[in-house]
Amino acid sequence: MKPIPFTGRGPRGRGRRTRRLLLVGAVAAVAGAAVARRARAARAAEPAWFAVTVLADPAELAGPGRPDVLARLAERHEVRVTPAPGGRGSEIAVRAADGQARQQVRALKQLLETGEVLVVKGQPEGHRTVLGRTGLPAFRRLTREGLR
Amino acid sequence: MKALCWTGVNQVSVEDVPDPVMLNRQDAVVKVTASSVCGSDLHLLDGYVPTMAAGDVLGHEFVGEVVEVGPDVRERRAGERVTVCSIIGCGRCHYCRTGLWSLCDNTNPNPGFLEKLNGHATAGIFGYSHAMGGFAGSHAEYVRVPYADVNAFPVPEGVPDSSAVFASDAVPTGWMGADLGEAGPGKVVAVWGCGGVGQMAVLAALLMGAERVIAIDRFPERLAMAATIGAETLDYERVDVLDALKELTGGRGPDTCIEAVGMESHGTGLQYAYDRAKQSVRLQSDRGLSLRQAIHACRKGGIVSVLGVYLGLVDKFPMGAVMNKGLTLRSAQQHGHRYIPMILDRMSKGEIDASPLLTHPMSLRDGPKGYDLFKNKRDGCVRAVFQP
Repeated sequence: MKPIPFTGRGPRGRGRRTRRLLLVGAVAAVAGAAVARRARAARAAEPAWFAVTVLADPAELAGPGRPDVLARLAERHEVRVTPAPGGRGSEIAVRAADGQARQQVRALKQLLETGEVLVVKGQPEGHRTVLGRTGLPAFRRLTREGLR
Repeated sequence: MKALCWTGVNQVSVEDVPDPVMLNRQDAVVKVTASSVCGSDLHLLDGYVPTMAAGDVLGHEFVGEVVEVGPDVRERRAGERVTVCSIIGCGRCHYCRTGLWSLCDNTNPNPGFLEKLNGHATAGIFGYSHAMGGFAGSHAEYVRVPYADVNAFPVPEGVPDSSAVFASDAVPTGWMGADLGEAGPGKVVAVWGCGGVGQMAVLAALLMGAERVIAIDRFPERLAMAATIGAETLDYERVDVLDALKELTGGRGPDTCIEAVGMESHGTGLQYAYDRAKQSVRLQSDRGLSLRQAIHACRKGGIVSVLGVYLGLVDKFPMGAVMNKGLTLRSAQQHGHRYIPMILDRMSKGEIDASPLLTHPMSLRDGPKGYDLFKNKRDGCVRAVFQP
């Protein structure tokens, strides 16, 4: 049988094109990841503010009489308190707030507005699967600290 | 105690669970005397809400008796019979103070999921997934009620549980739909969906003085119930709804279109098949058939009031019709606290009787059967209500 001449077409050619496409795809993916990483780094260079509006007088949240949690947050973060428009109280903004800081700001808002921080742990529940037992605490932590 | 728990997609079971305890100083514990299934539970059952976990206690529409109150509860007392709003408000944030209770800032302890999905978190809801706070539900012998002073409403003497239970959700939700839709004298109102909420939207629109109310569904017993309340009816499997509404309104279309169906809308034809296919492979989270139809039917400059529960994304949303016809689109989870005292008062005067919705009273032990009847619309079931 005569050998089939290589022409750049046919099965062998398709294989080469596929490999080339895969290579191009891989390079594009790596380049995309690098761009995304640079974009994340650029975002990190200018950390975002986490802000909530609290139905409280700005005077309550400033000066030496401010809540302890705000004073503690101010040691680690830039904290800004400004009047909210339309009689909606004060805007508390914390720069570069991590998960813990976000939780603390949310808890402070609840405490100032309602007098307590709502608890759901310890309620009745039926049989939890292994996934539920491990996943739920993780879900709660993630959704309280704020998904990025 | 016994409680009805979600255990997986389309699976519920009655389990022994610990009794609730008060976890906050403004809590009360309520002994549940009646707890209703709700159409919105079906989205949890069907697995479209991703933050359910096996063991979650279901149920959010209920009436009962206060058995214990926390030290900072000022108005509620043990022994009081109360309807509890399905939506949990704090009563103090800007939203609660302005009557937008389902937008409460303080009652969802797990805000991150909704913040990512919708931009902001909204109020907690009993028995309605961990994204909505992870509160244990009312299909149980006892339930813990946070901020009891603002969420539990005393039931006037003479109002039976069979009606008072629906003052928790179906009646105020229906009322809100008519209210947001500005139903009133001279108005023609169309209501998509004749479940519990749709029936109460029909009643609310009529009580507000609407000229005509047209109810749309496919189940004869539900259409008959709406007709008993005072609606004209359209069976969408027998008539072309858009043509029929034009004919019934002199070509204008209804002034107010209330959509009481939500993300698992049924229908006929290619559009329905398309929606089902896309939803089943999760290319859209919500089927928008009835919502599209309501927008298409609504008169120029009219109001589309959306009560049906939607979770995320609806494909092929007719924004062109909304814009070019100058429609107003209004929606919310119910701001129940705004309406419940008035509704209970009207119930005590005999102006509202929601008890016809209760087609299937049953024991909590029969919970799985109740959900089967309700989900599959068997035996003329409009609402199954559990009496623990």
